[in-house]
Amino acid sequence: MTRGHGWRLLAPALVLLAVAFVGPVGMLVPTSVRPYVPLVGITSGFTARHYVRLLTDSYYLEIIGRTLVLGLTVTCSTLIIGYPLAFFLARTPSRWRNWLTILVVFPLMLNLVVRTFGWIALLAQNGLVNQALQALGLVESPVKLLFNFAGLLIGLTHIFLPFMVLVLIGAIQNIPRDVEDAARVLGASWGSAFLRITLPLSAPGILSGSILVFVLTISALVTPRLLGGPTYQVMSTLIYDEFLSRLNWPAGSAQSLLLTVMVLALVYLSGRLARRTGARV
Amino acid sequence: MTAARVRTWLLRAWVTLVFGFLMLPVVVIVLASLSRTSYLTVPPRGLTLTWFSKVLSDPEYVQAIVFSVLLALVATAGSLGAGIAASFALIRRRVAGGAGVAALLNAPLVFPGVVVGVALLQFYALIHLNGTFVGLALAHMVITVPYVVRAVTASLQGIDPELENAARVLGASGPVAFFTVTLPLIRPGVAAGALFSFIVSFDNVPVSIFLLGAGQMTLPVKIFSAIEYGVDPSIAAISTMLILLTGLGLAVAERWIGFHRFV
Repeated sequence: MTRGHGWRLLAPALVLLAVAFVGPVGMLVPTSVRPYVPLVGITSGFTARHYVRLLTDSYYLEIIGRTLVLGLTVTCSTLIIGYPLAFFLARTPSRWRNWLTILVVFPLMLNLVVRTFGWIALLAQNGLVNQALQALGLVESPVKLLFNFAGLLIGLTHIFLPFMVLVLIGAIQNIPRDVEDAARVLGASWGSAFLRITLPLSAPGILSGSILVFVLTISALVTPRLLGGPTYQVMSTLIYDEFLSRLNWPAGSAQSLLLTVMVLALVYLSGRLARRTGARV
Repeated sequence: MTAARVRTWLLRAWVTLVFGFLMLPVVVIVLASLSRTSYLTVPPRGLTLTWFSKVLSDPEYVQAIVFSVLLALVATAGSLGAGIAASFALIRRRVAGGAGVAALLNAPLVFPGVVVGVALLQFYALIHLNGTFVGLALAHMVITVPYVVRAVTASLQGIDPELENAARVLGASGPVAFFTVTLPLIRPGVAAGALFSFIVSFDNVPVSIFLLGAGQMTLPVKIFSAIEYGVDPSIAAISTMLILLTGLGLAVAERWIGFHRFV
């Protein structure tokens, strides 16, 4: 009785996700193996061509590689920039702590297009960053910061930094202060107490924050599109063009499924890894 | 002791720098929206509010704002209904495979939005739901329901189930006990979930951009296309309005329900 009741309550959400999420994503699979003839469209039959091209053609491999490298560098930079901030927010006795946390949340809640737009104004040829660099005498002429790797790295680091910080705050708050104090009392310097106690104990947070940021970075569409333009492509912008400009839905479906497999594999592996480290700690 | 003081000082300096980095684009947008020039420039040359009145008297922007608000309200209402029921089932009822269900409910959080967008583009074309408000609202419910589930389950876990059982023993039916005892107790979680849901829907581009029909336009997609076409201070003006509204909403949510607990 109770059991049936539980499923009845779950039904609306499950039906919604089955009809408007799982089903439609699954339907990309048959589309991805249909031949596509330019000017004619999708024809019947079977072909593995879209997958073969995606995994062998140097044009696509460059985009896939760029997406992964971007994911990795954005993850590292958010971790390095964010860890000290998370440490501060987790440990500060300040009565402003909650409001400072909200200040980290604020950019997260702010419209993504708006945040990205701010970076366009900052990174443009005559933008504030170039003005500052020139005023400081660091560069002679404006540096190109848009439509290349540097622009995407800066913009995406800004966009995803709050996610990393919030995950790390949770992880660092869970570490008992006593453990660290015990190490200090027993003669460990602050540095070695941090490196041997605090940092390893926050590893689960570092892992889940990193996976989250990596996954979000390789899936991002708006920021790469606006800061990278139509020429500097990553996987999401490639899918976007394939569906809306080139109208090659089979190729776009294959690209979508590759991106999906990459994301799901990472989430699955991190789950297994987290269980293993969790069991040990 | 001096080493400790140096460390504290260094940490504070770093924290200040990072907050500066986080707020930099926000400040730049607000400044750019005040410039008298017809092109985007920071610091602003001359001060004016004409860009704000220009945006608010542009019917395209006004229609996009109305459409986005309506869409976000419908999506949030749907997500709240489905999400609260699902959270209650997951926490209070023993459901076989509950962990798998929870994972599925959370999946849209990490799933590439662009893939959801193209999948629904194809699916809706097949069942003739393309370009409809219903299709768009369903898509937005998919991406917002995980936020409701997350906030509401967090709230429910902090509530003693005995309170509801006591109401049942005293003669209240299941629904009455839920609506008069449990729901008021989880109100902060519901409010946080609703706020998340509204913002996520109102913010969305990667799903909406594939599903908008002729004559339909959401505000973020409108700004997105406007930027691709060319940047000018009117985009900064509409952005500044969104910055102010978001800041206000977040401050109210923090005072009211302690919003930081739900992020």
